[in-house]
Amino acid sequence: MIPIKIEGLTAGYDGRAVFSNVDLELKDRDFLAVIGPNGGGKTTLFRAILGLIKPMGGTVKVFGEEPAGSPSGIGYVPQNENLDSEYPISAREVVLMGMRCKKGLRPFYSKEEKEAAERAMEYAEVSDFADSRISKLSGGQRQRVYLARALAPEPKILMLDEPTASLDPSMKDCTYDILRKLNKDGIAIMLITHDMSSISHDVKRVACMNHRLIVNDAPEITQEMIALGFHCIPELVHIGHCDCGGHNNG
Amino acid sequence: MVDWIAAFSMPLIQNMFIVAAVACVLCGVVGTLVVVKRMVFVTGGIAHTTFGGVGLAYYVMSVIAVSWFTPMVGAALFAVVSAVIMALPMVSKKMREDSVIGVLWSVGMALGVIFMSLMDRSVVTPRSFESILFGDILLVGSSELMVIAIVTVLSLAIIAVFFRDLQVLTFDETHAKLSGINITVMNLVLYVLIALTCVVALNVVGIVMVIALITIPAAMSNMFTDSLKEMMVVSVGLSLIMAFFGLVIAIGADIPPGATVSVTMGVLFITAITVKTAMAKVGQGKAE
Repeated sequence: MIPIKIEGLTAGYDGRAVFSNVDLELKDRDFLAVIGPNGGGKTTLFRAILGLIKPMGGTVKVFGEEPAGSPSGIGYVPQNENLDSEYPISAREVVLMGMRCKKGLRPFYSKEEKEAAERAMEYAEVSDFADSRISKLSGGQRQRVYLARALAPEPKILMLDEPTASLDPSMKDCTYDILRKLNKDGIAIMLITHDMSSISHDVKRVACMNHRLIVNDAPEITQEMIALGFHCIPELVHIGHCDCGGHNNG
Repeated sequence: MVDWIAAFSMPLIQNMFIVAAVACVLCGVVGTLVVVKRMVFVTGGIAHTTFGGVGLAYYVMSVIAVSWFTPMVGAALFAVVSAVIMALPMVSKKMREDSVIGVLWSVGMALGVIFMSLMDRSVVTPRSFESILFGDILLVGSSELMVIAIVTVLSLAIIAVFFRDLQVLTFDETHAKLSGINITVMNLVLYVLIALTCVVALNVVGIVMVIALITIPAAMSNMFTDSLKEMMVVSVGLSLIMAFFGLVIAIGADIPPGATVSVTMGVLFITAITVKTAMAKVGQGKAE
């Protein structure tokens, strides 16, 4: 079954469409980068796929079903998490939050849920600072904690909204190393990015969104895409040495 | 000079400390959720609407002669209704939260004044405005204490059962929705818990100073703790200690207990901020 199938999708807010008539398929083991100018509708597209907003027209199917606020099988890493730095919570507790809600009362996390969270933390390389308060971590470490949270319920699709925004080059490389590994392990990845280096090195397909969507089945930005989103050429970034340790309070 | 042994052997004083202790436990726990979700102004709004319920209760008791509709029942009714109004998606998503709070706050207070002016004072003698607004813990009877204790136990049980969902909701509401948590229901649960806590707290410090009892211990606890559970436990402890000292000072100086507890908490909060800032500066100096 196709992981994500979008046909004729129109979506927006308060009756005003941000984009219209979008068609898109995310295939098995796909690695799709969505680029485009700010305000073009990339995040709105993600919100429609996640079921956080209702389509104004067209359909979104995730594994053949309409998403209704909590689509199973999708892990989501939001953009620049609006983290309350005063919130008293450890990285481990944040990752545990990734475990999906089950019916009935469940005041405690089960042994299986804790083990799944530990596995996700190892995968995202956050085990070393699992007990640190989230507000004391660097931006890159925090991003990987949210990645681990998304991986905890073992999703088949991973959606990331600008996962490397405001990270230093080595932390960006670390993030893409993990994403590459996840993709090799069979997880379909869809990410919003302005990072051109990731497009040439890691992704399999590129889509450009600016109120409408153009998809290229190769990891290249076409002239048509540049024409569509020309005022926002993705940034060129340094490809540096990977140092996943990061820095606290960075 | 106060004879402390004689004072503490008085049932009235003992009752006062028991009421304060029970209220502090609930306020410490719910106050933690209020502080981490930045709902202090919501709490203030709910607390002030209870004045309308108190006024309505006096009117109903005196004019319609419904004896069970006590001021605490009226306060609980207004608190829960205003909490539900604020939590409903059709209100919270369509209107600015602070505007809704402002309307409920002012209308609740105004209704209280109107109902109290219409009541029959020859049938029921109401508590003074001052006592209602600024609290009079000495007037809390054993039946009210029983209600406060039951509300506290029920509220704590609800928080224990839904702790996991409440933690996700207060940390990241979008993620809560994606996790399959019914955020409309959980928000309603949280708002109603806050409403019930306001009703319990206003018995100790009065309507106007409910925010102090709910917010200050939790805000202090937040400075020194690293998890939500830890913050709740420390908040309860601080609340109990500060309320005890506040009440002792009130007895010793013969000044209003509710106001004294609020001022004690405020002074210790400022002291805690000062100590924490000084400690951070010392730590920075050592690191350099």
